[in-house]
Amino acid sequence: MTGSLEERCWAALAEVQDPEMPINLVDLGLIYRIQVAGSHVSVDLTFTAMGCPAYEMILDDVRERLLAEPGVDQVLVKVVWDPPWSSAMLTPEGREALEMWGLAV
Amino acid sequence: MATANQVRFDALLSKGDLVETTSEMTPEYLKELKHTLTVSGDTELISAPAYYLAAQRAPSVNAFMTGIAIIQDELAHAHIAYHILEELGEDEEKLIFERDPKSFRYPYAFDVPLESWTELAIANAMYDQAGFCLLGDIHEACSYGPWKRGLVKVMAEENFHLRNGQSWMKKISKAGGEAKAELQSNVDWMFPLTVEWFGLPDELKMHSTQLEYRLKGKTNDQLRQWWLSVVVPFCESIGVKVPAHREGDAYVLDYPFPCTFDAENKRWDFSDPCSWDDVLARWRARGPRNAEMVADFQESYYKLRKSRAS
Repeated sequence: MTGSLEERCWAALAEVQDPEMPINLVDLGLIYRIQVAGSHVSVDLTFTAMGCPAYEMILDDVRERLLAEPGVDQVLVKVVWDPPWSSAMLTPEGREALEMWGLAV
Repeated sequence: MATANQVRFDALLSKGDLVETTSEMTPEYLKELKHTLTVSGDTELISAPAYYLAAQRAPSVNAFMTGIAIIQDELAHAHIAYHILEELGEDEEKLIFERDPKSFRYPYAFDVPLESWTELAIANAMYDQAGFCLLGDIHEACSYGPWKRGLVKVMAEENFHLRNGQSWMKKISKAGGEAKAELQSNVDWMFPLTVEWFGLPDELKMHSTQLEYRLKGKTNDQLRQWWLSVVVPFCESIGVKVPAHREGDAYVLDYPFPCTFDAENKRWDFSDPCSWDDVLARWRARGPRNAEMVADFQESYYKLRKSRAS
């Protein structure tokens, strides 16, 4: 295991795919902040739209993946809407993934 | 004697090339392509009212949103099939709004009412898996270019439906008690209905024009086995019983296939085997919700047309 727990949590969420598009949550720009206190991790996350059909699936996936990370035994996910998500939140890799998939961003 | 067009068409098909325009097609190919697209469009379209009845029983606002999003996808997929039919000379409006309910070509399963969120979850995991196998096969094999390309995104979206079905089935099974008992009793009627979806066994279906024209790549039994190889292990993994087991490389059903189904009571009688002629007669007569579902979306169309005319 290398890196701090916070770094490992970012890497872990980069493994979680969006249920509707071939892109991970970090590259999609949904993860705003990760804070670590001991073995407690809290995540600020948003959705591309308030009516996101994959709302519960994404929350379940985030919790499940972080709890699988050694050293994590409690996960608090906070859904935030400020700042609102826009395509500017995509990483360059995320932009490329969506363009490859045929979505103009 | 074969015409020049027929010779060119046969050569194109046997080379594995894609058909792109109607001028390349033979009349027989065009007819079979239209038939296959109509089944696909009708199936996606009718799944919307079928799923909507159950989506209204969602156990949370988020779940309701997911259900509605799935219905929106299905309508979009129907539109893709009908749109291609338009390009082949059919009229989408007539196809959807001016056909008799009984002439719609979709699997019988959708005629049996889905009345709870649990039934919708199973439908997303079983019916959409059947759709995934059938469309995945068409996507892989299809000789008609415009449809093959249109299916890329359809397949990606169907994945989301499977995910919804499987994650809710898992959640309901984990909840145990009455919820799990209800899940099991619904699987009991929905599993055999989806097995039947793939049609006549290969031994009874000697010739397939769809296979010949590369409008599909796998036979009925191969598609049924593909479906079983996903659904049976999944159900077993969440502690839900299904009447099928693996023997060597293939899945074997633990009941006489086909057998008698009582649609009103959603019950199979495994002690009463029947013939495929009986099954085909039941399909042709359609099930409980056929007329109602078609009337639901045709009603406003006729109202508007009557107002315009007067």
